[in-house]
Amino acid sequence: MTVKDRWLLWVFLAPTLLLMGLMLFYPMVGTVIDSFHDTSFINPQPRFVGWAVYEKIWTSRQFPEVVWNSVVWTLGVVLLQNILGFFAAMLLNQKLPMQGVTRALVLLPFVLPGVVTAILWRFMYDPQLGLINSLLISAGILDESAAWLASSNTAMAAVIFVAVWKGFPFSMLIYLAALQNVDKSQLEAATIDGAGAWRRLIDVTLPSIREVILVNIVLTLILTFNYFDIVWVLTRGGPQNATHIFPTKIFETGFGQFRFGEAAVYGVFSILILAMLVALYVIVQQGARNRRPTA
Amino acid sequence: MKTLLTSVAVAAMLTTSALAEDVTLQFWDNQQTESGLSKFQQAAIDRFMEENPGIKVEVTTVPYPEYQQRLLTAVQGGNAPDISTLDQIWIGAFAEAGAITDLSEQAAASGVEKDKFFPGAWDSANFNGGLYGIPFNVDVWQFSFYNKDLLDAAGVSPDDLKTFDGLRSAAEKLTKNGKFGVGLFGHRGEDTVVVVNSFIFSNGGEVLDSSGACALDQAPAVEALEYLQGLAEYAPKGILNASSGSMRELFLNGSLAIEFWPALEQPTLQSSDINWDFVNGTAGASGKAIGTYGGWNLAVYESSENKEAAWKFIEFMVREDVNGDVVDLLPANIAAAKAFVDKNRKGPDRILEHLNNAKPRPLSARYLEVADIQMTLYQDVFSGANVAEAAMKACEEIDALN
Repeated sequence: MTVKDRWLLWVFLAPTLLLMGLMLFYPMVGTVIDSFHDTSFINPQPRFVGWAVYEKIWTSRQFPEVVWNSVVWTLGVVLLQNILGFFAAMLLNQKLPMQGVTRALVLLPFVLPGVVTAILWRFMYDPQLGLINSLLISAGILDESAAWLASSNTAMAAVIFVAVWKGFPFSMLIYLAALQNVDKSQLEAATIDGAGAWRRLIDVTLPSIREVILVNIVLTLILTFNYFDIVWVLTRGGPQNATHIFPTKIFETGFGQFRFGEAAVYGVFSILILAMLVALYVIVQQGARNRRPTA
Repeated sequence: MKTLLTSVAVAAMLTTSALAEDVTLQFWDNQQTESGLSKFQQAAIDRFMEENPGIKVEVTTVPYPEYQQRLLTAVQGGNAPDISTLDQIWIGAFAEAGAITDLSEQAAASGVEKDKFFPGAWDSANFNGGLYGIPFNVDVWQFSFYNKDLLDAAGVSPDDLKTFDGLRSAAEKLTKNGKFGVGLFGHRGEDTVVVVNSFIFSNGGEVLDSSGACALDQAPAVEALEYLQGLAEYAPKGILNASSGSMRELFLNGSLAIEFWPALEQPTLQSSDINWDFVNGTAGASGKAIGTYGGWNLAVYESSENKEAAWKFIEFMVREDVNGDVVDLLPANIAAAKAFVDKNRKGPDRILEHLNNAKPRPLSARYLEVADIQMTLYQDVFSGANVAEAAMKACEEIDALN
């Protein structure tokens, strides 16, 4: 590449880089700057306070709750969504009657907007009018109705269940595509060698789609960590902060209480965690690319 | 020369006239109900524009859940409207931030005075010696709406609901056969705060005392909270995730005997099959049921270049013959409110009495942070925590805000 070509390259790249800088990095840098300032709606002139806001958040009783809830929420949703998505994909990879209709129906939760999903499940979980309690009582599993979203012991499990219900078709779609690319001859060879279904899954199918599984897990980690609407509509982070995760806390602190500096600190922690997850995603993808056989 | 001067004068007049016609006010309001209000509001605005030919008004109606965020973003971004409705509890923060203007002089000059409005509503617009809004609409949390048929079947008199002891005894009798006595709710929302506050006020307690210090750990407030903790036994399950809206659903399907709502609830009940009536809250040790004010004030933004026209619009909107047509709660103008409740509400005298007795929430620039701590406290109370300890912890946090 000549010097002139190199200049031309930068000229063509400049608009994209400028746009990316403005749209992606300016808000992030702004958040980091805000986090070192005491700034709120009532004190709109930012006052530099160094690490003071970090110290305030770090020592608050809510911060460890938000971190713990975010970990439980993210890992819970990602694990269950991927396991369920994988087995649903295995099932739909078989020759089933009305295969197209079944696939469309399974995809339905994924295409519903998050707010609609949450409102639907709020009704389902209702202790007095909800379908879940009626079913469980009819089946003899419960003696009396339970307030799933109103107890600190069950609220997180209840919101995770909803997120898994909504998210598993996404994982299923990706796994289904991967399963359809598994080398049939390897499966046939394993069958001839006497491998049963379980052995074929462990020794042939899973190694063949290993990269897809890893990428899918990292991708759903990022998406789940950032999820807001289901949790907000179902519980608003309650009861007693039992379901407050980073996005709901940021929203409540910033827009509910006008404390922009503190919301920015929660935002910075979010950015750091997401940056690590994105790095993990890049590493996993790079690894997958390196392992791919070259033609 | 004369011709030139005449031309300049004519041009100046034309310019003035053109400018006068160019005044366009941006008015933002939120929509809380499906009352068809916007149609009546538009008719009133058309009337205003007829009476004030130089001023146009453009209305932006934002759904209630998005309203606060939209206003904040607009103020931060320098795109605030000329006028908007502001929740009473936002006035302190908006005034402290310098976003809205002091209307004391305009109000004094044009006779928009305190005695024309409900006292608590007027107080809610006063902050640090300035008048940062004019009361637009009001309501009181809460009236105790009851299902007459359920009370009759349980042998409960509506008068029983007027005292702490009577309400508890009534709730106990009414909670049977899958029905619930009392619609207490405790989700993280402002409706939880105002209902619990009213029990505290009715027991002689306060949220903040006259010096601005937290009073939730004082005996009247602690007793009221302990009372509510016991009363929760007769409420539908799931109190920590229940809102006034979820209690309404149960009340409307006949499985809840008493629900706590402002007078705003009446149109919904009037269109239902429920045989209902109401009493004015519940009196504790103070001997009087004291509600918590809710409502909205009209505020003019500092950034507005049309403050004079904006004031004219506010004067018009709170006028006795207009105020009742443009609100979905109750008019804040007392004369308009009397006419409004006589025409549209059951028990107008009781409503007005409760409005006159009600107290506003703390007038603080940091009210939303205070309310957040209150929500945590009330959730702790409904979860069975030691009330005195939880209140003390909440007060430490509230006092640390100053």
